[in-house]
Amino acid sequence: MAQKKESKSLAYQLISFVFTFMLIIFAISIFISRSFYSKVMLEMQHNTLRHLVHERIYLIDGILFKVEALAKMARSVVADYNLNDSEKETMLRTLLLDNPELHSLCMADQAFDSVKPKVMYTVRHRFLQRDIQGLDYRYQDWFQIPANTGKPYWTEPWVDTQGKGEMVISHSIPLYERGEITGLLRFDIELKYLQEIITNPDNFKVGVSFLVSNTGTLVAHPDLDLVMNQSLFSLAQEYDEPALSRLGEAMIAGENGFIKIGGKSPFKNSWIYYQNIMSNRWSVGVSIEESVLMEDVNLILLIQTLTSIIIFLLVGLTIYARGLNISKPLKKLAKAADSIGAGDFEAVLPLTDKSQEIATLSQSFSTMQRSLKEYIQNLRITTEEKNQIRGDVIYASEIQTKLVPGNTEHPLGVKELRAYGILEPAGDIGGDLYDYFMLDDDHFCFVIADVLGMGIVAAMAMTMVSTLLLSIAPYYKSSKELLMELNKFLSRNNIESNFVTALLGVIELSSGKLEYSNCGHLPLYVRKMDRSFQKYAQTHSTALGVFENLDIGSDTIQLITGDELILYTDGVTEAMNVNEEFLGIKGLEEIIRNLSLPNPENTAKSILNQVQDFARGSTNKDDITILVLDYKHPRMDS
Amino acid sequence: MKHFRLILVAGIIVLCIVILSACKSRSSKGGDASPGTSVSSENGFTIRYCPKWQPHAQFAGIYMAMEKGFYAQYGLDVKMLNHIHSSEAIDSLAAGYLDVIHIDLLAAILANSAETKVVNIGQNSQKNTMLLVAKRSSGINSLADFEGKKLGIWRSSSNLITRAFLKENDINMQLVPIEWSINLFLQGAVDVINAMSYNEYHLMLQSGLKEEDLFIADLHELGYTIPDGGFYVTPQFYSEHPEQCKAFMQATKDGWLYAFSHPEETIDVVMELMHKAKIRANRAHQLWTLQKIKTSVMPTAAEIGILKPEDYRNAINLLKQEMDFSRDLPFEEFYPNGAEKRK
Repeated sequence: MAQKKESKSLAYQLISFVFTFMLIIFAISIFISRSFYSKVMLEMQHNTLRHLVHERIYLIDGILFKVEALAKMARSVVADYNLNDSEKETMLRTLLLDNPELHSLCMADQAFDSVKPKVMYTVRHRFLQRDIQGLDYRYQDWFQIPANTGKPYWTEPWVDTQGKGEMVISHSIPLYERGEITGLLRFDIELKYLQEIITNPDNFKVGVSFLVSNTGTLVAHPDLDLVMNQSLFSLAQEYDEPALSRLGEAMIAGENGFIKIGGKSPFKNSWIYYQNIMSNRWSVGVSIEESVLMEDVNLILLIQTLTSIIIFLLVGLTIYARGLNISKPLKKLAKAADSIGAGDFEAVLPLTDKSQEIATLSQSFSTMQRSLKEYIQNLRITTEEKNQIRGDVIYASEIQTKLVPGNTEHPLGVKELRAYGILEPAGDIGGDLYDYFMLDDDHFCFVIADVLGMGIVAAMAMTMVSTLLLSIAPYYKSSKELLMELNKFLSRNNIESNFVTALLGVIELSSGKLEYSNCGHLPLYVRKMDRSFQKYAQTHSTALGVFENLDIGSDTIQLITGDELILYTDGVTEAMNVNEEFLGIKGLEEIIRNLSLPNPENTAKSILNQVQDFARGSTNKDDITILVLDYKHPRMDS
Repeated sequence: MKHFRLILVAGIIVLCIVILSACKSRSSKGGDASPGTSVSSENGFTIRYCPKWQPHAQFAGIYMAMEKGFYAQYGLDVKMLNHIHSSEAIDSLAAGYLDVIHIDLLAAILANSAETKVVNIGQNSQKNTMLLVAKRSSGINSLADFEGKKLGIWRSSSNLITRAFLKENDINMQLVPIEWSINLFLQGAVDVINAMSYNEYHLMLQSGLKEEDLFIADLHELGYTIPDGGFYVTPQFYSEHPEQCKAFMQATKDGWLYAFSHPEETIDVVMELMHKAKIRANRAHQLWTLQKIKTSVMPTAAEIGILKPEDYRNAINLLKQEMDFSRDLPFEEFYPNGAEKRK
């Protein structure tokens, strides 16, 4: 199935595209060829038919002109030589016997009412004549029309019942005496004689020849049912073919031309050449069916079509074979690409091929293979390095965690105090710090600080702060001195991210006096036993690490039993909810106001929980540090 | 040998008698017609009918009445004989060779000018179908243009209508009597020609002329409402066989109704008759004739087959104007069939 799909994709597509294109070209070529051949063939047949018509006309005109000449001669003899009846009869008999074309003659050269005209004819070379009887010949066309026009006249075909009873056409010529018509001479030709010239199949092998009279009547045609029954106009009516009417009009008008007739008439789908006969103005036509006319053209087109089909097949086979040839290296390439995709970067690619495009494609694949290999190698190194850094960070985090004191009920064993601290870095490590230690037996020091920024740099800074405070603490008893020393250290060691806010206090355990200094840090809250609280927002300097000679002040608070000190970093007040609203000082105070009885652990955890609840769903996170201390809790007194 | 000569002479005499009788029969133009009164045969009452003209769709109703057996249904055995000129037909009728003839109304009235030779048993046509046709190319575009032109006019009694038209409209034309050919007109030997609307006019169209090239004067529309052909018998025949005369007309009427409702079948029959008669025939022309003749034979369903008194009166008046005609036969005597119907 997959193989079939493959073969379609290239060989099939190539063949279908080329075939479609060639088919269009072939169709256009056939159309143009047919049009061209048809035109040429039509022109050739036009000439052929014209020659055939001319031949017919020549034969008919030869007879009709001869009859006209004989009639003129006879009239001249009658008029010039004043022949008596016997001499006229002799002359006409001679004419009749000497000219086989003549079917019969009629002489009406006397006063019409007194003497009946005579009809003369031959039967087996015997001369016969008789008077016209029982018929008023004066109203017959052969007599009446030339008698009225005074001009010679060729009649339409008619049956001479007084002669041999055959259908004839007659040439009537008036006889004059002193300008008056005194009689007529009529020379008859049997219509069959002309019909044979027109329809003789020996003379005419292609198409149909026909003869049309002055009224459009079909006088001669191979189809005898049409002869003398139909005119071109009656056929036009019967078969509703206007082109036949146009043909009839043109033939009657003595024109010549070449015309196509469609429809269902006996001339259907034929080309007709027509031309008039000079003598009696009749017209000869030759028709040839278009299918016959196009036989040769169709044969040529058939040969052309067969040749084209053979060429199509050969081209198709060649393309198919080539398509298969091209697809072989492509298959190899696809297989190699699959291996590379599966992780085998050593898979062998077919780098050379007869087709330049395939070779280029293979080389591109090879380049991609190398690049992928290098990329994976680099990725591996980078990942290893990252893992190393990650390990270091985790280690640093552990160190930082160990820097802050662990929570015990009495910090450092000081019974006057309870403390609970929480440090929740935003990442693995943070920039916040809380710590507490004893300066001497009666002075308990605590600190909460926040280094500007986060991550390793902040954590390093905070580690320095923690270490420094521990190392210098034994030499100072007041909060401001400790912080001034710390500030100097931070300012001198101009490290990045050295701005530190800090609140440091020293509790004299025996008296409960608290001295503290707030260097740019958040307010300190002191919560009383009655759950009231007091905020100490006074700061004693800006943040540490900015100015070396910073003068730091301090304040003193007298703690009483049950006072609870709440210290925190900006991770608490700047906690943000999903509406991007800060918790703020007010929020914190609201939490403090609702806290239960003082207990550092409960207080710290409660604040942390409520801050986390407030910030749930928010992506903004900061280090959170809370340190709660209480002094001489009543329970401790007891 | 002497006996042999006697037998030979007797044989020759018998042969001559047979040939003579055959010739006489042929000269009657009626095929198997012979003088004498009609008789009933096995096939019914025999009627020897002589049509007005050669086979043509203008008689399609009669052909279909025969073809479909309508005459037989009315107890008639109609034998159609060869057509002859109307004057000969009237003579043959009087001589007893024929029983029913088909002639024009004017010819019939004229035949009765001295004594009543024929009576009408019904009309075939209700209209005057005569036209005067001219080529516009000869400069004729109105009746006034007829003045001084050559007119090919029928030499039969039908020309009386044309003559009356010319006289009443004070048009002077050079009259050229013609038989039936239109070639005189086609060749330009006459400028105007008589033509029947259902026949000659269409033959002109089938000879290359176009309707728009022709100027036509329809004599019926111009007020000459004298109908053409009708069926006639002798007064004696009618008085002896009135029922058969009525039956003949009824069957003929049925034939026309059938013909008009089955035109293609009818034309098949007409074409067959024409081919048998070896006369020129084409289907388009016969179909045209059948369609045209319908307006003449059956202007309305009620008018078919009858002779109207006003038409008869118009014909009498025309004859009185045109010639010395005074025998004003009462309508009821001329058309007893109609008179009986009214009773």
